[in-house]
This record gives sequence, structure tokens and C-alpha cells, in this order.
Amino acid sequence: MSLTDDRAALDQWYTLGALQDFPAGAEVPSRLLGEDLTVRRLTDDVEVRAAGRALPVRTDYGHLWTSFGTPERDLFELPESREPDRRWIHCGPVRVRASGLRLVENFLDLAHFPYVHTDILGSEAHPEVARYEVEQRRDVDELWATKCEFYQPKAAAASDEGQISKYMYRVVSPFNVMLYKTPPTAPDRWDVIALFVQPADEAVSVAHAFMLVIDLTSTDAELSAFQQMIFVQDKIVLENQRPSLLPLQPGRETPTRADLSSVLYRRWLKEKQLRFGTEPRTDLQSTDLPHA
Amino acid sequence: MADWIPIALSRDVPVGITRAVIVDTREVMIWRGEDGVAQVWEDRCPHRGMRLSLGFVRGNALNCLYHGWQYGAGANCLRIPAHPDLTVPPTIRANAYAATETGGMVWMSSDSADPPPLLPALTPVITLAIEAAPERVLAALGGSTAEPLIGLPFAGGTLQLGWHRAHAAKTMLHATGAGADIAAATAHLRALRQSLEQEAAA
Repeated sequence: MSLTDDRAALDQWYTLGALQDFPAGAEVPSRLLGEDLTVRRLTDDVEVRAAGRALPVRTDYGHLWTSFGTPERDLFELPESREPDRRWIHCGPVRVRASGLRLVENFLDLAHFPYVHTDILGSEAHPEVARYEVEQRRDVDELWATKCEFYQPKAAAASDEGQISKYMYRVVSPFNVMLYKTPPTAPDRWDVIALFVQPADEAVSVAHAFMLVIDLTSTDAELSAFQQMIFVQDKIVLENQRPSLLPLQPGRETPTRADLSSVLYRRWLKEKQLRFGTEPRTDLQSTDLPHA
Repeated sequence: MADWIPIALSRDVPVGITRAVIVDTREVMIWRGEDGVAQVWEDRCPHRGMRLSLGFVRGNALNCLYHGWQYGAGANCLRIPAHPDLTVPPTIRANAYAATETGGMVWMSSDSADPPPLLPALTPVITLAIEAAPERVLAALGGSTAEPLIGLPFAGGTLQLGWHRAHAAKTMLHATGAGADIAAATAHLRALRQSLEQEAAA
């Protein structure tokens, strides 16, 4: 497989990992959108090259970002990264044999908590997903799901008891998503948990989870271990979805009201004419096919 | 796929169990609820494509691992836990194949117009995966890919072998035998597999 010709996918920012994972002086191989890359970290500079070409680089939020194309916007805003009392926790990378779009969609999903994260993020006795709101914010080109609530037996590493957690979800680009969630110890603020997906190939992804949390008691290792445990549970599901690529063709899968955010996400991907990581469609005339 | 195909030994699908099987490159799954009836479905939940073979059986229902969607024996979805008060529309259903059991094997068909062969109860021996094309395996056993069963003489009796194609270069054999010495028959079949695989690799 070689670099995709999908313009919508090329013109995006992608993370290649936490900066701390690229030791100074070393040349580290990586992969993005079907193409091999090399990352070289100099003293206070990072270089990303593909096929002899230097790619643009950003180092925001403790991560290394690059793009093959010309992103329409700069990297997303993350104001919580400027709050001094937040802990920065990196928990990744985890390699998953599935489309990165499947990873994002799973991240947006509340209904799987009782079954995949049983007695942690959900319990079989409380499976109901209450109505929540979704919107496409056209000024920033982001998707938001708000007013989400879910009963959680153990919402976070620092939880002693069950709680009704409040969530907001924010999709900032096709492969980058984050959630805001009430921390057990600071109910008036929001923990931020981000999932930055590095789509290595159409059906091979590297998940970089990143947290900006308010937690005075747990150690970094405990916080990271909690998130790792959750993600390993998700991995079992993600690698067993068929097809591995996200279907955008109507009728291929069956959403319900709980899947409102997924419905909006898929519509937004179609609007962008994104193809990388999606199942090839058979319902479009060839003239309708997005052409890169 | 108009004919009936044996895809597993009945013994290997006890009550409460799911089992994934590849049949001619397609992912299918078998499950058996408390009523004892074997069901053969496409290995895919219509909701988000999750493989149903990772699901769990309770009573006479199969539950998807991902969101707990519950399916009854008729393949229709009975319950969507995220919406406990919802009456699930009958259009939401898993993709079921026709299934039956005879001769100690589970059989499936995509087109169940003709009845399956009726066989006497046979003692299950073993299911073997052979890394060789069915054409080659059946020819070596003196059978034909036109027939779902082969009789294999063994120790003065006959083993009945059902078979199915997993993919072009992999054959699944489901061996049964009336009153056969199971340990001896298993050893015989394993030796047979070894020689077939060596021949296929040569």
C-alpha cells in the first residue's frame, strides 16, 4: 500500500505520537495514510520526512503533528492545556487492526459501556442512553454532542463509588476526538480525555490517548493504567467489527437514537468526501465519486 | 450455495455456546440456546458489524457483545438495551441461514428448497482443519466435491466424513463413525492430515 490520493484525508493534521516518544538524535520510523515516514528530533526541532520530502510539523499539546497536504485550518484549540493544575497523562500508543474512523466512532459511543466496560464505565442494570444533543459547529468545523449522561460504577481511577457522569464529546477532525467528563473529585470542572488516531493504513490504526485531568490522589501510573485497561477492552470490539472499514453506504448498518453522534459523524465524513478508512461504496454513480 | 453443507460436529456446539466458522471465505457463526436448536447466522450484528460469535447466550437468546442487542431464535432483534422501552421493529434482524442437524453434524444452507440428507445418529470423532484444497483432499480420500460426505474405510468399519471449504486452500473435515474407536480414528485422521499437508506444501 502507498500514500492515499484522498484529498480530504491528506489535508488534515495527524499526530505521530507524544513528543516524549521521540528521543533526541534518534531517527524513528512511522507510518501515516499508507506511507512510511521518518521522524528525527533535533535539539529543539523535529523533522518529519516522507519520500525525501519534508512535511510540516507542529508540537502542540505535547504531541508531534504533521500533514501531507494543506490543512484548511490550523490545529484545534484546547484551552484546558493552559490550566496549570491539570495533570498531563499520555497513555499510548496502542496499535489496532481497524479503521481509525471505527476508533473515533467507538469513542463517541455511550451505549457500549455496560457490555464492553462492564461494572467500570457502565453496568448491565443501567444500560439506557438518555436523549442527548448533537450539533455541527460550522464556524470551527467541529461536531459536538452535549448533555450526555450515563450511570457509571467506576467512572475514573479515583472513583470510590458509582455516579451519573456527564459527558460532552467534541470531534475536531475526522481522526481526532475528545471528551469532557465530570471528574469524581471536582464536579464543577471537566476532565479532558482525547483520542488522537494515527491512521497508518486504511485498516491499521495507532491510538494515542491523552488526558488532561483534575486528580490529586492517583499516580500517573494509575491514571494511565485505568485508561489502558479501558482501551484494551475497546480493542477487542474494534478488531472484530465487520467490515474493518467504516461503512458509509445507507443500510449497511442500523443506527438507533443512541447513535445520534455516529450518524452526524458519518454525515460529516460524507460531506467532506473522506474515503480513507471507509468501505468502498457501490451505491454511487462513478461520476459522483469523490476524485482526488 | 444451494446445497446443504456440514460445518461442525454437533458435539462441539453445546447449549449456551457460540462458535465461529469460515465457510467458503464467509464468516458464519453457530449458537445453541436452552431449547437445544442449533442456529447458523452471518457472523455480524446488523447494528455496528460486531461479530456475533463473540456474543453471549442467555436462555434462548443471543446477545451481541458490543451493545447487548438481543436476538431470538428467529434472528429478529428482541431488545436494544440502550432503549429499554423501545418495541424493536421487525426489520431489525440478524442474517440467518437455514440450519439443521443430522448424522452428528450441524448443516447450513443458503437456499433450503431441498431437504438435507437424513443420516443415522453417528458418534462424533473430531473436526480437523487441513491446509490443502478440498479438491485435493477429497481426491486423496476417494471422494468428490460434488458430495457433502465421504465414507472412509477404517478398522473393519466406515468413518463418515462431512467436509466444508474454509477457503481455496483450507478444508475442514468433520469425522463421525458408528461404534468407532475414537482414539484410534483420531490418530488415523491426524496422520492422514499430515501426509495431505506435506503433499500440498510440496
